[in-house]
Amino acid sequence: MSSFPPPRHISQAGRSHARGHSLAPNFTSSALPPSNVRHSSSPNAPTSEMSLRGMSRLEGQHAMDQSRFLASKARVKNLNPPVDMRLLDYVAPYDGNLMCPICRCPFVDPVILTECDHCFCRDCIRQTWSAQYNPLGPRGDCPTCRTPAKLGLRCATSKILVNILDDLVVKCPRSEEGCPAEVKRGEVQDHVNIYCGYTVVNCPSDDCELPLRRKDMPKGCLHHGVCCFECREELQISNLERHWQSSCPQRTINCEFCDVQLTFHEREQHMKDACPALSIPCPGAAFGCTSRGRREQAETHSRNCTLARLAPIFAAQKQRLDEQEAAQKAMAHKLDIFQDGFASLQSLLCDPSDGAGLTNTQATVEPPGRNHRGRSHTMGAYAGTAEPLDLDFPTSSAQWSPSASTAPSRPAPNPPGPRPRDLPEPYTGDFDLAAPAFPSHSMTQEMPYTSPLHHLLSMHESLRDEMSRISAALAEVDGRLSMQSLNENMRTREEITYLGAQLAGLSRQVHWLTSSQLQRQQPQGAGARPANGSASSNVSDMTSVEAAVNAASNGLRGSQRMANGGNGMRRGLSEEGRTKL
Amino acid sequence: MSGNKRIMKEFADIQKDPPPGCIIKLLNEEDMNVWDVVMDGPADSPYTGGKFTVQVTLPKEYPFKPPVLSFRTKVYHPNVTNDERGAMCLGMLKADEWKPPNKIAEVLRLVRAVLAAPQPDDAVESGIAEQFKNDNKSYEKVAKEWTAKYAK
Repeated sequence: MSSFPPPRHISQAGRSHARGHSLAPNFTSSALPPSNVRHSSSPNAPTSEMSLRGMSRLEGQHAMDQSRFLASKARVKNLNPPVDMRLLDYVAPYDGNLMCPICRCPFVDPVILTECDHCFCRDCIRQTWSAQYNPLGPRGDCPTCRTPAKLGLRCATSKILVNILDDLVVKCPRSEEGCPAEVKRGEVQDHVNIYCGYTVVNCPSDDCELPLRRKDMPKGCLHHGVCCFECREELQISNLERHWQSSCPQRTINCEFCDVQLTFHEREQHMKDACPALSIPCPGAAFGCTSRGRREQAETHSRNCTLARLAPIFAAQKQRLDEQEAAQKAMAHKLDIFQDGFASLQSLLCDPSDGAGLTNTQATVEPPGRNHRGRSHTMGAYAGTAEPLDLDFPTSSAQWSPSASTAPSRPAPNPPGPRPRDLPEPYTGDFDLAAPAFPSHSMTQEMPYTSPLHHLLSMHESLRDEMSRISAALAEVDGRLSMQSLNENMRTREEITYLGAQLAGLSRQVHWLTSSQLQRQQPQGAGARPANGSASSNVSDMTSVEAAVNAASNGLRGSQRMANGGNGMRRGLSEEGRTKL
Repeated sequence: MSGNKRIMKEFADIQKDPPPGCIIKLLNEEDMNVWDVVMDGPADSPYTGGKFTVQVTLPKEYPFKPPVLSFRTKVYHPNVTNDERGAMCLGMLKADEWKPPNKIAEVLRLVRAVLAAPQPDDAVESGIAEQFKNDNKSYEKVAKEWTAKYAK
């Protein structure tokens, strides 16, 4: 069943179709269904031998056949509603006077209005006057001239008009399905009911109720499945022909541009690559050439078109541009990662720099050995000496670690490794801060590097950056420290100068007093000796005062020395004040 | 069904022989019942040079019920409502005046005639009608301005 060969089948169908056509009038003229014909054309016994019983049996069968025939006829009528004359396609143009002004078709069952003699299709005028569309109710004015009119008994038009209308040639309403018939309009209903091979009728098989086209009737019941010979699609035989004509992917079609025969499924490929008549755009179309032409013309065009010749170069450029853009995007992404990393580092550094102000006072009590390195540099010299500081950094952590462990404000140096960043930690100003902080940083950054060497190099680079930043911070701290000590020195110095000035004034007064006393004594000593005792006591008084003053000044000096000794560490920076003293 | 057939026929006819100054298309290909008409402003009127879009909607009951016209382009005219509907008041488009034999082509011809010669006594925009009757110059000026502004 599945290997039913379609080509043979179709040719058979064509033949049988022709036969069906010639047979059909006979069927209907005798008004007998095919089953009846079969019955009557196969007489089992000669009539002469027919008994009465046989006759009655035959009559019974005949009645049964007749009822079945009527039922099937009703069903066929259901399957084929009466032809709507207004939907017919007319083969030749017709006279405009034959057109109903309402439906714009040649009149169908024309009527003439009694008063004004205007002519309409019966349905059209009824519909116009129906209560649905006309407020006046089922009768009203002429739609053309508004004369009050009605449909009288003698409203039918003359036979001559009806004959003219019935002679108009129309296409069979089933022409879209393939019926080629063109018949007079008056006969179209008969054509559909009796002759048209595309009219749907009942299946000739007794036990099949499905509809079938009349031309396929001689082939018997076609309502069983088959498989298309070409595309293996499963369908019913009755649909096979239509399948072949319109939907089988293997059906033969003509290319609409170049008239080459090809199967349907080749069409797409043909359109894309081969069809010489298809209009295709210039190869440079993407770059601005608007020319289109048939394939063979397009080739000559593309030889002459600058854009077409440059098209591969443009394409390459575009590709390169795209690649660059992609690379740039990747770089931007990387940059973002770096910036994030540095931002986190900076925040790490910012926190401690706040703490640096607080720890300044601690820095003053640091052991001299620790401070030696920072102190030996003046503020101006820091920028220049940052480099050597960086270079010996790796050892510094190890170098300082013993002292760091002894210093109370310093945490013990952590082993290198990730350390929780949110751990509150006093700023130490030491370099070993960087060492534990970096591995964790580099671990998050590991992805972008192509090789361990690159990784190390970049790590080195970032370490170097970190170093310079830390040294700058250190320089700042040192500068602040020296400023503070300088300020303190100044104040002390001022006090001392003030004390010294007072002392000087005091000693001057004492001198003046002594000298005036001496002057007074000398005239007394020359004039009266007896006053000697009291004078000598005066002198001794003087000297005791002088001694007291001297002692006071000595005490002052001593205190100054003490102050100097207390500021011993800062003495180097307050040479000016010392020279004054 | 017959209405649809008639619409198709009328559309084919109007494509073959359109009324003067009109280009008729379907608003979308599937719907035969909405036509898109681009009408040139009639010569010797303030609407010269403008292109007016008129949408013609044919009801399901067409031709037994009148089509509905609406100006999609704003137009300064006594017989066209000055709102987004842009309805034009035409005697033959009223439900009780409509006759099934009327054709769209005739309707469009009439629309163009009314555009050229406003009927202030039948006006829907009484203000414009007053202006048209009493101060024709300024009416023409505004109509020209609107044409230049909206009907390009």
